[in-house]
Amino acid sequence: MVDIQLNATINGRNVSRAAKPHLRLLDFLRDDLNLTGNKEGCGAGECGTCSVFVDGVLMKSCLMPVAKAQGAQVDTIESLAKSGEMSVLQKAFHKAGASQCGYCIPGMVMAATAALRANPFADREEIKERLGGNICRCTGYQKIFDAVELARDVQNGRVPATALLETDTADGDVIGKNVRRIDAPSKVSGRLKYAGDMIMPGMLHVQVLRSPHPHARIVSIDTTAALAMEGVESVITSADVPGQDGFGVFVHDQPIMARDKVRYVGEAIAAVAAEDALTAKRAVAAIKIVYEPLPPVFDPDEAMQPGAAIVHDYAPDNITKHIPIRVGDVEAGFAQSDLVIEESYSTQAIEHAYLEPEAGLAYVDHDDVVTVVSPSQNITHHRHMLARIIAKPISKVRFIMSPVGGGFGGKEDMIYQGMLALLAMKTMRPVRLVYTREESIISTAKRHPSRTTLRMGVMKDGRIRALAMRMVCDGGAYGLSTEGVMRKAAILAAGPYAIPNVRIDTYGIYTNNTPSGAFRSFGALQTQFATESQLDIIAERLGMDPFELRRINAMRDGATTHTKQKIGSVSLMRALEATEQASGWEAGAPTVRGPTRGDLNHDDVRPSVTLGTRFTDSANQEAAE
Amino acid sequence: MLICDEYLTPTSLADAFAAMTMHRGRYRVVAGCTDTLPWAREGRAGDVEIPVLIDVSKIPELNERHVGDTRVRLGAATAIQRFLDDAALGRAMPSMPRCAVWFADDQIRAQATLGGNVANASPAADATPCLEAHDAVVELASASGKRSMPLREFITGPGKTQLADGELITGFECDAFPGYGGSFEKVGHRRSLVISVVCLAVMVKLDRDGRTIDDTRLAIAGIRPVPRRLREIEDLLRGKPLTGELLEEAADMPLDLVQSRSRQEYRRDVVRGFLVRGLIAAAKRAGASPDALTRELEAAYG
Repeated sequence: MVDIQLNATINGRNVSRAAKPHLRLLDFLRDDLNLTGNKEGCGAGECGTCSVFVDGVLMKSCLMPVAKAQGAQVDTIESLAKSGEMSVLQKAFHKAGASQCGYCIPGMVMAATAALRANPFADREEIKERLGGNICRCTGYQKIFDAVELARDVQNGRVPATALLETDTADGDVIGKNVRRIDAPSKVSGRLKYAGDMIMPGMLHVQVLRSPHPHARIVSIDTTAALAMEGVESVITSADVPGQDGFGVFVHDQPIMARDKVRYVGEAIAAVAAEDALTAKRAVAAIKIVYEPLPPVFDPDEAMQPGAAIVHDYAPDNITKHIPIRVGDVEAGFAQSDLVIEESYSTQAIEHAYLEPEAGLAYVDHDDVVTVVSPSQNITHHRHMLARIIAKPISKVRFIMSPVGGGFGGKEDMIYQGMLALLAMKTMRPVRLVYTREESIISTAKRHPSRTTLRMGVMKDGRIRALAMRMVCDGGAYGLSTEGVMRKAAILAAGPYAIPNVRIDTYGIYTNNTPSGAFRSFGALQTQFATESQLDIIAERLGMDPFELRRINAMRDGATTHTKQKIGSVSLMRALEATEQASGWEAGAPTVRGPTRGDLNHDDVRPSVTLGTRFTDSANQEAAE
Repeated sequence: MLICDEYLTPTSLADAFAAMTMHRGRYRVVAGCTDTLPWAREGRAGDVEIPVLIDVSKIPELNERHVGDTRVRLGAATAIQRFLDDAALGRAMPSMPRCAVWFADDQIRAQATLGGNVANASPAADATPCLEAHDAVVELASASGKRSMPLREFITGPGKTQLADGELITGFECDAFPGYGGSFEKVGHRRSLVISVVCLAVMVKLDRDGRTIDDTRLAIAGIRPVPRRLREIEDLLRGKPLTGELLEEAADMPLDLVQSRSRQEYRRDVVRGFLVRGLIAAAKRAGASPDALTRELEAAYG
């Protein structure tokens, strides 16, 4: 390789140093200069958390070869609050609560800075347009736009700078008050270190070999060539696991690397620790694996049929979990009903797409404590599972939760921490693994895809007499959270409604698809989608207001749920009222369109997507037209 | 991951050709890199090892920009964002600023080049229908000389062009259309950073009263292997009074435009709506008389 001798001004300082020719500007800033404020979220120019100024122009540093910065002035998020004093925009993000996980925020602050430089008077629509290259997954865009508008108004003198300060906690009482988040300054300034930002002296870099097959027997793994490569410190497979291998939130059915066979495309089979990520990548490519493909099963309904391919020997029927609920006599309930409606519903797999791809760092400390730092949403459980897997007493295993750059349930699984612990033990050096976006998508859990058949019987006056639901979910290759998701799905399937006769069956099924796991609402979405959709259909058929139908059936204070839980207070009636008002709903059946119908085309309804606000706002472009 | 042993940034055409000759068979030419880097990732090309990358974006000839009253010449390394921040260029190519605002995002446009967009020859490229509407000519150069050809001959299919081994796109020359109103209609799966499912470039010139169509240019992409100029519609509209009926007649011409691999029915609906909406928008920006088009028509296609 021919190094580039890079001379540039970075955050106001002259930098002159050799850089590998294939580096992107982002790699150079983060890895060579340890400026980790700007993050990598996708590596493909989609998310914008890597946005930096190059000669005053905002650029996506993941799309820029470092050579392009030759002679340039580069400013990262670290340049905005250099002496610790935040910029007006950063203070506005702090004030407006425009930081949740914080991972997108450095890029958002940079894009907002660029937007207000381009047009200090930009209105909200133009701000949206100029921030169009930056993605957030958890803060929500409204607070971010609020922050940019606040900063704009402070900068323009329309509101005083005191508007950026805490306002309503004078007496120290913060309960029920709108207070600033105490962790926001670290996020808006890029100072917060996520796992992928952390380094330790002597740290090795980890890359993972993943299965290209959905279902195959592993005949042999040959790591000889990989181990022989200069810079490679260790290569591990399931054969290196000292203890009882297996993790999962409920059933411990997943080895930390595939054992004997692979069950989905993207499953980890081997991991390499090397002096740099490129060497580790090349070593992964040098590992030779002989597979014997097995017949796969991709459809959960097919997986339940006799003769289907068996994913796990312990579950020959491919059922991960079946949750049945029985209340009353549903057949009698249907017989009493004036109207019985049966429909089927399906939902798809969904990726969490947290802005922070999985990352972790592990080391063995001076007291032989195996320590794993990662954005885990479940460190205590991980610690117990890992102790068993690496055959150590619990006192010799430590988990440290790094800031979670978005989780939504997707970081509950111990999907890579085992490999890191094992490599740290093998090498006795710190090891770090940072997933690519693609790796995150291919290997980690998704929302359970579902197929639901729902039968409901109602009286003419709207009272629901019976509900029978059968939902089959694709749990994918491993159990992860499937059992809990099926349980929650079943518990909440009949909604907050008093229904005397209920029969619910939810099934989580093994297939050779990407594993399904925890995702916000944890199964309730799938069943509630069916139940609530069905209520709207019934409202149409009965000619009844859908809010009224729900009120008629609502559980009230002191109700007993379908799973015999006593509920002291039920807020459903208040929630319905608030929703009805906020949506501008005009009473009546869904089929009715009255003259004052306010739920369509009123001021609060978002217009269709368009671009080009800047053409109307900018004098420059007015002239161009 | 894109891996190279050497990254060269020549600052003259002669240096570029010397590097291309020296590394023949083991180099790839890059400019903005906004497509090359995402291409070299899992799911697309994967890890790609290219011995030499030759970055042509710093060559002065490729960054030239001449905007005249009748002709425009743009170096191949012209960044897409220039169509938004160079007012004279926006006037000469009135659909291009509208195209640019839909093109990726502000940050990527600052880096992505016109030459790169054409060299990729994506059926969904946004800039190519605009260039096609301007009868653009592609300028090519190699160590042994220069040649040029119309854009419509240069792009031969999805990802395919007539660029020869050892040759570079140096620039584009095309008609200037000051005084025309321009529009660009685009739909994809979201607003920013999205590949076109359908995109349409429209330019309209009206008479002094804003009632008669003196001239119009239309080109469409995203719905067939290469962009297509809509000369049949231009011929129908030219010289006619501007009315809603005429625009709808144009949109209803049986041209069988949609030859995409997927979602043909959806695209046909979109194309019809885009033709009317694009013509309305371009005519208004060209100074259409306020009573030439009815409010109902604008509402129906807004």
